[in-house]
Amino acid sequence: MSWRRMFSVRWLAAAALLSVAGSPAFAAGFGIFEQGSRAMGMAGAFTAQADDPSLLFHNAGGLAFVDKTAFAGGLTWIHGNKAEFDGASPFPGPGIHHDQKGLSEFPPHLYYVSPINNTWKWGVGVETPFGLTTEWKNPSTFAGRFVSTKAALEAIDLNPTLGWQITPTFGLGIGAIARFSKVELNRNVPAINPFTQTAVDVAKVKIESDSYDRAYGWNVGVLHKITPRVSWGLSYRSKVSIDYEGTGRLTQVSTGNAQFDALVRARTPFDTDLPVKTAIDFPDMASIGVAVGITPRMLVEVDANWTGWSTFQEVVIVGDNATARAVFGPNTTNPAQVRGTVVPEEWDDAMNYRIGLRFTSGPTTQWRFGYVYDETPQPEEAVSPLLPDANRNGFTVGYGSTGPGLMWDVALMYLKFDERTRTHTFPNEAPFHGTYNTTAYLFGLTIGWR
Amino acid sequence: MKSIIRFAAVAAVLALVLAPCAARAADTGTANFTRYVALGDSLTAGFCSGGLVRNCQLGSFPLLIFAQATDRSPQEAASVFQQPLVSSPGISGQAVCRNPASPLFPCGVLRLVSLAGPAPTIAPIPGQAVPQNLTLPRPYDNLGVPGATVHDLIATTTGGFHDLVLRNQTAPGFTALQQGLSTSPTFVTLWIGNNDALGAATNGSDALLTPAAQFDAEYRAIAGAIASLGAKMALANIADVTSIPFVTTVSRFVPNPATGQPLVINGNTIPLIGQDGPLQSGDFVLLSATSEIAVGRGIPASIGGSGVPLSDAVVLTAGEAANIRARVAQYNATISAVASQHGAALVDASAFLNDARVHGVNVGGVTYNSSFLTGGLFSYDGVHPTAFGYAYIANLFIDAINQKFGGNIEPVDLYPFVFGTNGIGNPTASSVDFFDPAMVVMTPEAARSITDLAAKKKPVKPRRPRR
Repeated sequence: MSWRRMFSVRWLAAAALLSVAGSPAFAAGFGIFEQGSRAMGMAGAFTAQADDPSLLFHNAGGLAFVDKTAFAGGLTWIHGNKAEFDGASPFPGPGIHHDQKGLSEFPPHLYYVSPINNTWKWGVGVETPFGLTTEWKNPSTFAGRFVSTKAALEAIDLNPTLGWQITPTFGLGIGAIARFSKVELNRNVPAINPFTQTAVDVAKVKIESDSYDRAYGWNVGVLHKITPRVSWGLSYRSKVSIDYEGTGRLTQVSTGNAQFDALVRARTPFDTDLPVKTAIDFPDMASIGVAVGITPRMLVEVDANWTGWSTFQEVVIVGDNATARAVFGPNTTNPAQVRGTVVPEEWDDAMNYRIGLRFTSGPTTQWRFGYVYDETPQPEEAVSPLLPDANRNGFTVGYGSTGPGLMWDVALMYLKFDERTRTHTFPNEAPFHGTYNTTAYLFGLTIGWR
Repeated sequence: MKSIIRFAAVAAVLALVLAPCAARAADTGTANFTRYVALGDSLTAGFCSGGLVRNCQLGSFPLLIFAQATDRSPQEAASVFQQPLVSSPGISGQAVCRNPASPLFPCGVLRLVSLAGPAPTIAPIPGQAVPQNLTLPRPYDNLGVPGATVHDLIATTTGGFHDLVLRNQTAPGFTALQQGLSTSPTFVTLWIGNNDALGAATNGSDALLTPAAQFDAEYRAIAGAIASLGAKMALANIADVTSIPFVTTVSRFVPNPATGQPLVINGNTIPLIGQDGPLQSGDFVLLSATSEIAVGRGIPASIGGSGVPLSDAVVLTAGEAANIRARVAQYNATISAVASQHGAALVDASAFLNDARVHGVNVGGVTYNSSFLTGGLFSYDGVHPTAFGYAYIANLFIDAINQKFGGNIEPVDLYPFVFGTNGIGNPTASSVDFFDPAMVVMTPEAARSITDLAAKKKPVKPRRPRR
């Protein structure tokens, strides 16, 4: 009898890959809005100020008002404080508790701005507006290891920008975005051990983009200083869709049964680089803000930000040679056909709201305070070990010196994710029910000169 | 200030004292599990890998439902919800295990011995099983009788597994339905009718199907009798028995003895030979054919076979399969109508098995499907579920019960079934010891439950239901 048909590599494929996306990233979803410590001190409510070189990220309209060459660079240390999961029935069940590996990431930012003449200005920024790492402790026993053990996404923008001071109080900035990104996904592959009729790990799979893949976008911003004490700004950054080329690599995990291991080995392309492709549609985002000087020393800004996360509907991983197709699914652009491994995400567009307070404490020094409420774009059914997102409340404090000469800013953010419980699953998808609790601290340091 | 502290202290003590009293009770809605009785066949009994054995019975879907509905652990539930437990290695449904002339005698449920060679070796576990719960002074709560048809539920009191489940009866005795109703149940699960179609599929003959009119009349009589007591019900319908591994695993082409894959000669595969000549597309070769194929039957003499056609009983032709499916659809129409009539929860077992076959069911990243041995849903007999399969079915029942009766019973935690950490389903596991295996002398009736099983089921004549 031809029972061996059952051991095709398809069953590895079935669950084989995962989605892309990831973790405590630091604006809901996998955005990172912390791209300058001055803005971070005010919880990112900076669209209507845009008065330091990080304007290239926060509002290119601010570039129009640059009257002096300046540069600034720094990083944000994202320190995961707590990221834990408690299971619920039917799977993985109550009593299951897992922690993520302590997150420690340093997304950098670097900016240069300079006037060309009184009307035209230019600048170039390096930003890290998206990224994430979700890595679970004890990956060989983690109950979600067949979904994801580690997902990492990195995106770096090169953002040359031109500013036009249309009137003394109204500025426009337009930029080009070259986004460089890479992605890595890891999971374990299960099979039913026919001797025990229970699930066992037979392989680890790692999918990794070969190098930084890139795609282009654009951004635009306006800043209008209505009076010396009142301004408003509007900023928009476009969608960027990146196609990734990479390799998938399967490594065998012994089940302890030599016969079964041999059977799996005979039918699975272990230790071979299988060419795979995937894509991520990074969302567009728009921010609007109003800043008002309440007193000569105190300014308050309120921002609303919309992010078009509905671009993130699913993650599809396909194979592009015969072996990879067998494992990861056919590579076809016809949506009516099977498209490889598909992970539904079905995200929605989401808003966040930011309020910041700036207190001028000395001729060049400022204290800053802020609060952000960041709405998750992720529907409950998509909450998974790959990227357990939730609504977030962020509280910030910052301090800095504005120059001239040396500029420096520091900021601290405490980020509390609302408890997120999943009790529902997309049709025909695997339940992985339970509750996620996450908190993080972010420390920002930016140093510059003008 | 002091009074506030004192108040807080009193409140704290009260909270500690009262907390155990406020232990959460499962919210069963308008369903009441005070007296729960399960009626049905081998699927209700927790039959697996060709036999009845405690390590599968302790994962039977009725026991799991009872545990969830009464907020007990499966261990606690097993000492309240009584079943006709059988010690390892179980009582086999196979004649070979009960035939003293067989070198395998005595033997129990099946296990996978080896994957080496072109075909896996599946054989019964040697050893003599002992019924462990024969002295219970009342009917069992799980009255699922392996092999029972709708007709058996209202007409049969002895023979086969009835002797084990219904126990010690002198004629005329009591049927499973009578025993179940005698305990005044408040809730009944009824999953019967599988054997009215299964025998036809596993014996390759649609002549064994219970006539639809008989099924309808007897099924309505059973449900009516339960409803007349005021008990709430959950019914399950009948899956497409032609989609189980027992039917779908073996190719209709001559296998290459070295690989087990279809033999290819000059680019062509060669169909096996059945009673009507070469097998056609849509014909199924049953798992029971493997021993015939192994000695050359069904293989043309020109390529080294005996040239003798496969016997009729090991082939299910496309026409027979279509007749079985049509009849099952008629049964299911009855079950659906009866569910509506009595306000019963209805579990769509047919849709579940179809989902499993078409795209699999996925739990925590593990995909289960209807493949034999590697699919994870079917045990070694290719017909009955694995421990995971039974737990998944329990959750289908719980979903349907919650929906119908407005309850919020927690689903069964599948983790121990996915990874086998509770030993349920594994007859050689030492960790499943929910229940004290009291040593019991095997009664003549119990012994007969083993010795009488060899007789193949014959189609049953309609008879007036007896109450």
